[in-house]
Amino acid sequence: MQLTLDKFTKSFGDTEVIADMDLTVRDGEMLALLGPSGCGKSTTLFAIAGIHRVSGGRILFGDRDVSDLPSQKRNVGVVFQNYALYPHMSVAENIAFPLEVAGQDRATIKREVQAIAELVHIEKLLNRKPAELSGGQQQRVALARAIVRKPAVLLLDEPLANLDAKLRLEMRSEIRRIQQETGITAILVTHDQVEAMSMCDRVAIMNEGEILQIDSPTEMYRAPVSRFVAGFLGNPPITFVEGVTDGRGDVDLSGLKLPLPARLEALPAGRAVTLGIRPEHFGVARGLPVPGVVRFVEPQGRETLFDVALDNGAVLRSIQPVRQDLSVGDAVRFNLDTEAMLVFAETGARL
Amino acid sequence: MNMRALTDGAREGTAIAVPSTPVPPAVTLPPRRRGKPRGKPRVSLLGLAMLAPSLLLLCAFFFAPAIFTGVFAFTNMSTSTGIGKGDWMVTPVLLRQLRDAGLSEADEQAISAATYVVDAEHVARAEAGGVDARFLSDIESRLAGETYDNARDFERDLRDLPSKPRSARALKGAADHFASSVLNRRYATEAAFAAALSTVAPGLAPETLSLVTERAYTGAVFTVENFVTLATRRDTLRIVGNTFLYVGLTLGFNVAIGLFLALSTFYLPKRVGSVFSALWLLPRITPVVLYATLWQWFTWENGFIYILADTLGLPTYNYMKAGVTSAWTIMILSNGFVGASFGMILFSGALRAIPVQQLWASEVDGASRLQQIRRIILPQLRWPVLFVTAYQTLSLLSSYELIWLTTDGGPGTTTTVWALDAFKTALWAYSGEFKYGLGAAMALILVVVGLTLSIAYLILFKFDDLVSRPKIEF
Repeated sequence: MQLTLDKFTKSFGDTEVIADMDLTVRDGEMLALLGPSGCGKSTTLFAIAGIHRVSGGRILFGDRDVSDLPSQKRNVGVVFQNYALYPHMSVAENIAFPLEVAGQDRATIKREVQAIAELVHIEKLLNRKPAELSGGQQQRVALARAIVRKPAVLLLDEPLANLDAKLRLEMRSEIRRIQQETGITAILVTHDQVEAMSMCDRVAIMNEGEILQIDSPTEMYRAPVSRFVAGFLGNPPITFVEGVTDGRGDVDLSGLKLPLPARLEALPAGRAVTLGIRPEHFGVARGLPVPGVVRFVEPQGRETLFDVALDNGAVLRSIQPVRQDLSVGDAVRFNLDTEAMLVFAETGARL
Repeated sequence: MNMRALTDGAREGTAIAVPSTPVPPAVTLPPRRRGKPRGKPRVSLLGLAMLAPSLLLLCAFFFAPAIFTGVFAFTNMSTSTGIGKGDWMVTPVLLRQLRDAGLSEADEQAISAATYVVDAEHVARAEAGGVDARFLSDIESRLAGETYDNARDFERDLRDLPSKPRSARALKGAADHFASSVLNRRYATEAAFAAALSTVAPGLAPETLSLVTERAYTGAVFTVENFVTLATRRDTLRIVGNTFLYVGLTLGFNVAIGLFLALSTFYLPKRVGSVFSALWLLPRITPVVLYATLWQWFTWENGFIYILADTLGLPTYNYMKAGVTSAWTIMILSNGFVGASFGMILFSGALRAIPVQQLWASEVDGASRLQQIRRIILPQLRWPVLFVTAYQTLSLLSSYELIWLTTDGGPGTTTTVWALDAFKTALWAYSGEFKYGLGAAMALILVVVGLTLSIAYLILFKFDDLVSRPKIEF
């Protein structure tokens, strides 16, 4: 079911947290709300769930306006960060709870619980209490409880934050698999760009109550609308260097000149710009050779990360397939793919 | 007190449930030396020393009174027996009782008969009694060694003496000093009493003698009479019924109101909620006498309710003391209000421990507020509800002071509960006759009921599940 936020506004007391947000999540799509803590992503999620009241605007499930409906009547499934399982109920009872309060008969409940348990691979744990489960198992139970009622929207609030690294990888693909198998429209709230990019069809980047960009993960990575978005995506992160255009197609980085990408050669002189250079675009096979000194080497197994100090003192990061011929203090000339550089105006917008 | 003893026991129980299994030494390896054998509790003298004060206090203020109560319950101790060692004495009242119990008339007359003996002992007694010395020396010289078995013969002989007193009354008074009767005389030992009895009534059969001796003892004796009395007394059933009704209703009121208050303050805005709960604390923090007085002002003649009823044209009377239904209502309410805040505080704490996400989750799952309370919140309040129920049952069973200060168990004995009756029997009898033994028996029954109830509660609510395993293994 398609979900639409239309001029959605939320304030707590006098503080307006979110103003006039528009967002559309397509039917069957999984969308990530990505942003730093305090950016309003969880608030948006809880407003969609009906846990928070809407201060202004509308929330539509399909064509149905649910803005004034209590959460009981919205038919949403929510997976909370701490799972919020009912500790006094067994796994089966937890999953059955939404069906029971909906007044379904015993046989249906039993059948549905069994089916969902098989879908999320917890059919052997049905008689356990939540306290007897591991974090990943609890996560699966919470997911089962959220989707057993076949909700219009599945809302996931930082579902992986409480898991250890290995489980997180496993659950990432599990959640995506279950979402795709059920075809439920889903929203994932996270502050982890890897989660957002790996699990979702589209990512909405939020900051300070505003959606900055909605795009597919690849597109967003390739063409971020602003410096903030560019800085949020990518691991290891992008490096920014400040400079001024000289009007002849170069950027003066005080002591070092780098050419602008071809499409921006026409920029007038004297404009302060920020160049964004991703590590994979420095140290490539072809490009502009830039001299520098290795300051730091970080082996990452398959790749090696180098911090290279340029002549003017700026430090660029380079990620390359493992090589052991370089060590700290070595002078190098790495090629820079200037065409792949991102250029941002003083306002932060990408040029 | 009972609760504490039980929880301590349970804690030991869990410790036992997790035994540390000693590792069998490998056969092929030489036995390794271990610093300390595992699985044995280490007892440190310092620990015992630190515990000593509380152990002493526990012994002095819990075990000793409990043991005394248990012992006294099996005696007929009362104001008339005293708490010390008794004497042996036959009184006319006792004789009447013995007659009722089947003592023959001849035996009764034999026991009550007086003999007059002129010997050194009686002369000394007469001298101390202020009998004329000349008269006394006459008696001593002429009648020494004589024994009379009735007053008339002795007085006739006295009248024959030259120095007899002029008035007949003085003569009778002198004669009395020589009387030797077991009636109304205290004997410090059983042997002395039996000897005296055999002297005055030599014809008594041995079993009659031992019966009289036993019954003549004035001190407390061990007996199960108290329990027989309680079992056969007509009042017992009524008081037991009263107690059950009182505990049940007050407990229900406490828990229900406590839950209601906790839930409503939980859903109310914080500030309103705190004011609200603070108000409910007032009955608990008010001194009980003042609280009882407030209830009296509220319900007595010309009190609030009285005037209100008068204005509305309803019957007016002393609601606390004059009507059975109103007395009961006031007893339940006054006790219930004190206990409600206890439940409220415990339940509120337990409520706040439930993560808010669980409540959100239940709402999202479609549960109405009522379903949320019934299915999510109340099951998680099981332990505090058990605790309040158990604790309040025990404290209500043994509480009487507020009832004593308000309805005083009246009208009649309609609001008298077991504890109040025990207290009054043992320590507050209007007649001044305190039946310590009977009161202790009642208290002992109360303790037994309390213990049984607590054990039943613990089994019913699966106490093992509620006590989590120790975080640190010893």
